[in-house]
Amino acid sequence: MKSISSPPGVSLTRQPNAGGYFGEFGGQFVPEMLRPALEELEQVFLSLKDQPQFQRQLEQELQNFAGRPTPLHFAQNLTRHYGAARIFLKREDLLHTGAHKINNTIGQILLARAMGKRRIIAETGAGQHGVATATVAARFGLKCRIYMGAEDMRRQFPNVQRMRMLGAEVISVSGGTQTLKDATNEALRDWLTHVEHTHYIIGSVVGPHPFPMIVRHFQKIIGEEVREQARSRLGKFPDYLVACVGGGSNAIGLFHPFLSEEGVRLIGVEAAGKGLQSGQHAATLTRGRPGIFHGMRTYLLQDRHGQVQLPHSVSAGLDYPGVGPEHSFLKQRRRVAYHCVTDREALEAAFRLARSEGIIPALESAHALAFLEYLMPQTHNNQVVIVNLSGRGDKDLDTYIEYDPTFRRTDRP
Amino acid sequence: MSERLQRVLNNLRQSKTKALSVFTMAGYPTPEATLEIVPLLARAGVDFVELGIPFSDPIADGPIIQAAAHRALQHGTTLHRVLQMIEQLRRQTDIPLLLMGYANPVWQFGLEPFAETCRRLQVDGIILPDLPLEEYRPYQSLFQATDLDVIHLIAPNTPEHRIRTIDRHSTAFIYCTTHTGVTGRNPRSSARMTAFFSQLSNWVTHPVMIGFGVKSHRDFVYYSQFADGVIVGSAFLQFLQSLKPDDYPSAIPRFVRAIRHADPEGMEPKTPR
Repeated sequence: MKSISSPPGVSLTRQPNAGGYFGEFGGQFVPEMLRPALEELEQVFLSLKDQPQFQRQLEQELQNFAGRPTPLHFAQNLTRHYGAARIFLKREDLLHTGAHKINNTIGQILLARAMGKRRIIAETGAGQHGVATATVAARFGLKCRIYMGAEDMRRQFPNVQRMRMLGAEVISVSGGTQTLKDATNEALRDWLTHVEHTHYIIGSVVGPHPFPMIVRHFQKIIGEEVREQARSRLGKFPDYLVACVGGGSNAIGLFHPFLSEEGVRLIGVEAAGKGLQSGQHAATLTRGRPGIFHGMRTYLLQDRHGQVQLPHSVSAGLDYPGVGPEHSFLKQRRRVAYHCVTDREALEAAFRLARSEGIIPALESAHALAFLEYLMPQTHNNQVVIVNLSGRGDKDLDTYIEYDPTFRRTDRP
Repeated sequence: MSERLQRVLNNLRQSKTKALSVFTMAGYPTPEATLEIVPLLARAGVDFVELGIPFSDPIADGPIIQAAAHRALQHGTTLHRVLQMIEQLRRQTDIPLLLMGYANPVWQFGLEPFAETCRRLQVDGIILPDLPLEEYRPYQSLFQATDLDVIHLIAPNTPEHRIRTIDRHSTAFIYCTTHTGVTGRNPRSSARMTAFFSQLSNWVTHPVMIGFGVKSHRDFVYYSQFADGVIVGSAFLQFLQSLKPDDYPSAIPRFVRAIRHADPEGMEPKTPR
């Protein structure tokens, strides 16, 4: 295994810098009219985040409304299946609304209230972030509008209904690929237009500074809990942490508190869609190159003329041509190893978990689980692997049934 | 700094004439049409032309320019192709030409080769709405070395101190948007906005052009009182949509006249509110 070498003077953890850069990635590539809002957001965030009263309120909401801390489950049957390292699952899927997204929306709605904003907007891919946003907007009594690609509305319809039940307005975005990228474009346009009284709760560690920093702050509780749970239950840190990466918020949340622990290997798993050779994938870090998109400099799926390419993944939450700038930084610094698995491998992993552990994972999280097929043979039984089970799979049931109602093990494509 | 653009701006100030600039999307409705449209705009008396570089994800644009960019991309209008168009246009017209688009295609082209090509082809300026001052600063000397004016945007929510800073880093003119929002939207002018526009000239030393949703003679007159002129974009693209290429030679001058002088027949270009 590669050792982690840090060039002197460049810290892995003390990012971003004042300009919002993680190394050479990040920044604030947005029209001038958003600048006052981004400045205000940064100021309010920096002044509140260490304030005891704000911390208490956040903690209260996370405990009593969202259901933190989440368990660290020993996946005994899956461990036996592979016969190597012990596998633990961080159960973010047990949170209210069914995914880690609520960690961020609770934090951001508290910021929105502190800024006196009356209206909340958000983009959503799988609908998990949309539901988590609609939920906190309902709880705190703010108007809420969610942008969602028309194609995503079709494939994640139960979440559309949940958002509507929670009182949010769901806007179908029919431009472009009708998925997450276009929903984000529309949300940004809405924000440009109503910036004065609207807060945009971005759903991942993407977008212009300070969003990647703020979303990381609210998601890093995942890794902080894992540190505590590993220490008390295992008496040591895990050897491997595995998480799926679309925009990358559940992965950053898990990884960030471990960045300085050189013995902990970090693995991000992207969506290889129908296979890297097919050209139909969402493996941004594996196959993209740096570009400027959605307000940030980051790895991007693009053609040679700089036009953004259409990603593909069976998982709506990973179907994004960009990635959080901190991931681009961690890839470049080789602190995190990024791999990818296909739609089919993810689907198989979902069935494997359902039948061995009694847990139906979200398609996004199934990508992290699918990588165990590659990772486990390299491990031995005194090691520990922790997989972030970022969301539950109810929303994906149609896709699962469509894939193979009489699931059988097949060889890797 | 572009001498051609400077000359035009100076002449306008000296003659106390308000500038009219038109934005059109390169490659819309076809690449051939662009080669015809730009010289017609020049002959119709437009003071300078912005040529849009199509991008797949134009976050600062409303539906009309989004659709035009999409169409232009379907015709294969890459930045390379746009620069080829400029080369052909420069044989026909001496009007100041500015490119307007998003940062990524320019970055993928390579900043140095881009600035160098612009100098060779006599492009006068570049407007990149997603490149705010802070992200531009590291490249400022590169642009300045090639006489390419980088036009910065300000909006009615930009604070005075920041407008003054942007003014200091500007070369040709400042692009002020009518409102906070995307292109093509019809702004409702409020007392607060009027107050903002009235103050603007006290804060800047460079000429100011106002754009985003400017679509009629009335808009031209209204916004010109606060600035050196206006930029018309979405309204022009929507007008083009209604035309056949055969109509261009008569219709485009009519459009320009209607904006500048109020059309005698009361034929202001119709655009939905």
